[in-house]
Amino acid sequence: MRVQLVTMPWHPIDLPSLQVGLLHRLLQQVRSDDEVREFHGSLRWAEFLLERSGGWLRPGDYEAIGSDSIFDGLGDWVFSGALYEDENWGVARLKEYAASRGICTDTASDMRVHAAEFIVECAAEVLAQEPDVVGFTSTFMQNVPSLALARELKRCRPDLTVVFGGSNCDGPMGHALHRNHPFVDLVVRGEGEYAFPALLRHLDAGTQPADVPGLCWWDGRTPRVNTQSRRTVAPADIPAPDYDQWQAALEASPVLEYVYPKLVVEGARGCWWGEKHHCTFCGLNGSSMAFRAKTGAQLWSEIDHLVRRHRILDVVTVDNIIDMAYFKDFLPLAVESGWDLRMHYEVKSNLTREQIALLGQAGAVLIQPGIESLSNRVLDLMDKGVSGARNVRTLRECENHSLTCTWNYLYGFPGETVEDYAPVVDQLPALVHLQPPGGAHRIQLERFSPNFTDPGFGFGKRRPAEMYQHVYDLPEVELTDLVYLFDTEDAGIGGQAESRLKRAVGDWRDGHPGSSLVMEEAEPQEGVDVLLVHDQRHGWPRRTHRLTGWQAVALRRLEDGRTEPALHRLLTGDGHDVPAGELNVWIQQAQAMGLLFRDGRTYVSLPTWEVPVRIDSDPADHAADRQAADRQAADRQAADRQAAAG
Amino acid sequence: MTGLPATVTHRVTGRQVHVDEPLRLGGAGRETALTVQFLRECQSHGLRTHWEIAHEETPGGDAYDARMLHHLPPPAERPGESGKLSEWRTSYAAFPTGMLYHRRGPDFITVMDRRERPASARFTLDHPDLLTTFGTVQEATALSELSAVQREAVDLLAAERLALVADGWAVALPPRLHRWPVPCTGI
Repeated sequence: MRVQLVTMPWHPIDLPSLQVGLLHRLLQQVRSDDEVREFHGSLRWAEFLLERSGGWLRPGDYEAIGSDSIFDGLGDWVFSGALYEDENWGVARLKEYAASRGICTDTASDMRVHAAEFIVECAAEVLAQEPDVVGFTSTFMQNVPSLALARELKRCRPDLTVVFGGSNCDGPMGHALHRNHPFVDLVVRGEGEYAFPALLRHLDAGTQPADVPGLCWWDGRTPRVNTQSRRTVAPADIPAPDYDQWQAALEASPVLEYVYPKLVVEGARGCWWGEKHHCTFCGLNGSSMAFRAKTGAQLWSEIDHLVRRHRILDVVTVDNIIDMAYFKDFLPLAVESGWDLRMHYEVKSNLTREQIALLGQAGAVLIQPGIESLSNRVLDLMDKGVSGARNVRTLRECENHSLTCTWNYLYGFPGETVEDYAPVVDQLPALVHLQPPGGAHRIQLERFSPNFTDPGFGFGKRRPAEMYQHVYDLPEVELTDLVYLFDTEDAGIGGQAESRLKRAVGDWRDGHPGSSLVMEEAEPQEGVDVLLVHDQRHGWPRRTHRLTGWQAVALRRLEDGRTEPALHRLLTGDGHDVPAGELNVWIQQAQAMGLLFRDGRTYVSLPTWEVPVRIDSDPADHAADRQAADRQAADRQAADRQAAAG
Repeated sequence: MTGLPATVTHRVTGRQVHVDEPLRLGGAGRETALTVQFLRECQSHGLRTHWEIAHEETPGGDAYDARMLHHLPPPAERPGESGKLSEWRTSYAAFPTGMLYHRRGPDFITVMDRRERPASARFTLDHPDLLTTFGTVQEATALSELSAVQREAVDLLAAERLALVADGWAVALPPRLHRWPVPCTGI
């Protein structure tokens, strides 16, 4: 059998598709007679745009649409005209939507005119391989581009078997995708490691796949849906991905000079925290929360193999949460290697200082700790299992170990009040030397999240997000099953409190680049500890605080975060007989000087020991600047041409 | 232990380095190579470096293209300095981290070179002779001490501007990235 595995836009063009890599390797293992080919439609689209636009639409534009417009569906919209064979389909709806939200759609519109031709070329390229089966993997905005190609493939080769899988096909979404698109023969819902080979066996035998768990299939013109299994794939059955064809495609592509290729690995599936306490807003794990992890040795063995084979030191892990065992059996192996890795890891925020240091030593220098908020009560409302003080500590330790920390400030949780935010927002200016959030955002209602599955959380009224109106030509009842994001009534704070939070986060981001609050131990004087804290934070007086004796000890004791009574006990244990009233006065003063952050009854010290080497922006920003300059130049040329013509 | 070469007299305070004596970069073999090695290691560790260039010196002189050094911390400004120095200072200020660096993997080294912006060049060194020689010239080395194979490898590195060869001495140019900047995706 010839199997073609396809990943369409808007898969990131600097990354291989883990899903394609896994299935490729799996088929090699369990169906060695099959011929497996890959089609990297995402990469081809970036190339196509470069070529057809004469270099005008670059990989940076691709990335901007692919990563920044998920909540507006622009990537899907680019291909909706091709899917519905009507270049005007959804144009007026998007125009209205964009106008109401102040969204620029110029780049998406520039791309859309090329979509139909691209799909035709893709179909020809895929069919040239004479596949028996074409398998699409679809996540986020890959649905419409994939459906457009699937439709064209079936138009050209009605006997071809088209299979869909991926996150967009989980649960009712897969059923809706199947029953509304007759050119999709089969949809694998849930994990594919067991189901995909099973359905291929049925195709070999010409039998009905009624026993493949979770599968959607056609019985004549009747859509059938098999019950999704609760059985999860064991880590031992998850192969190491095969990225050979991806690398060959990328190295032959003009896109290569625009991107920094990275490897994608998977150590674990599910979420060990979510098994016990599902964060109320999170739907990322779909229908399978059960946490499973490869051993640290196995994960390192896979990374070792991939790094050696592909000569790439950048590694992105897709785990939604790090297995805590990896601090003992995986990260030390990365440290021992001595390689200059740059790994991206999602972690839980309540890591110890030693664990954060180990991440840095191992090369896990880009972390996503799921900080979400700095308010204890709001974190409790979302069942996050971490305190605001812990989150601040994590941000501080990221500075100490030069870890890049990505996070967003989320709000809009049912039950939160203005009083939860005021004391935090009041203190945000003191945090300006720590890495700021990407922004302050109201939470979305995501399928599979507790907020979605239990209307009792306060989001009873919901409908498919408005953006899907310019993405799918389907009635609302079908969209309700098909889509991942929903519009609902706002909960929690709004109005002035919301504006104040957004403004404070904006100020944080603006003031961060030149800010530092760093401490150093000076020579003890007459046996007394001396601690100097150099304050160069934006918005604060430039000065050096000199702390001596028990005050120096207290600031250091608060690095872990303590209540006032606990601090008092520790100081007493250290031999410092400090009257409680005096300690209280010092704490108030230290907080007023922005040296401490208060979260409820807990205080945590804010000075760092190190200041990272900071750079202004990502290469993408440089690229965006270049593109903006190029566009201006091109606009000028166009204006010159018009003037000449006139 | 700062990890900085002792061949240049210096003081380290926090994350700052102060070099006590003026350094030479004019192309006089050994001294120039030692200066480059020292500055490369300062850059590698993300240290702010204060140093002065010897009064009579112009970087590069007639021996090499001074733009090869634009990824290294420039000397302190002085009145009436040459255009080469101010050009260096401007270039470094625009890209103080990550203009040129190398990373080590198993049996290979990757190099990112953005000294000729906006173009960038990436190299993967995996030939054993290149790897060995790249390791050798981490320290300033007299060409006369290299084997014929290593001489050939140094010539290849120099052709790609990854090693400075001047007046009979060679030294590797790309610092190893010991400390990632924030954001680490920015280089």
